[in-house]
Amino acid sequence: MNFSTDYADWGVMDFFVSMLIVGIGVALLGTGMFTSYFGAGKSQKIGYALLFSGLVILTAIYVLTFDAVEGVESMFDSSLFMEGLVSGISALAGMMLGMFVILFVLMKVDTVDDLEDLDLEDLEDLDLDEELKKLEEELKQADDSGEAENNSENSEEEK
Amino acid sequence: MMDIVISMGFVGVMLSMLGMGLLIAYYGSSKTRNVGFLFLIVGAGIAYYITLPETYADVAFMNGMLAFVGGMVGGIIGIIVFLVAIIKS
Repeated sequence: MNFSTDYADWGVMDFFVSMLIVGIGVALLGTGMFTSYFGAGKSQKIGYALLFSGLVILTAIYVLTFDAVEGVESMFDSSLFMEGLVSGISALAGMMLGMFVILFVLMKVDTVDDLEDLDLEDLEDLDLDEELKKLEEELKQADDSGEAENNSENSEEEK
Repeated sequence: MMDIVISMGFVGVMLSMLGMGLLIAYYGSSKTRNVGFLFLIVGAGIAYYITLPETYADVAFMNGMLAFVGGMVGGIIGIIVFLVAIIKS
């Protein structure tokens, strides 16, 4: 295999530059669609401008690659362009697959291992009904004392 | 073409394993951290495999990497253009 580190062997123009332009076009198209749909007023107009520029960039790269318009000389080799596009999409698909694997493993692995350290005996002995009754009594007492204070204040004012 | 799809798919899986493995190994605790180290090892293993001379290591693979990096850089430039347009308005 020719694992060349010679810069001259790499197709910088056909792979890097073409995909750079496609990346800009796709990003502008995506953000333009989002902004023109959800934006309002000035933001919406900017969204339309971004959408338009994204479409122009993608159309230009298509014309410059696939000889779609007569008289316009192609700048990129169409087969190499397709190879570059497939490479980019494959890498993105691989990243998504990797993320799914990571999420799956993290969800399947029992990551909460500190439960053994918890003292669950106290919780088992706890009688919830009794605790609830105690809380209600405390609340009642607090309400009664509040009302008594209000009544004494009112009687003083009347005097 | 199939070689490119498989090799670049491996590159994507490797990148997510190394990136997420680093984060999980650093910020995770106990079992989660161990899983993070496992992801790091798997990522390093994939990196070793795809750079073996008898697998995918040739000029086509380097061109695929160029295309991937170009696409990522282009996407980042596009998002910067979007942010500048929104912030300046």
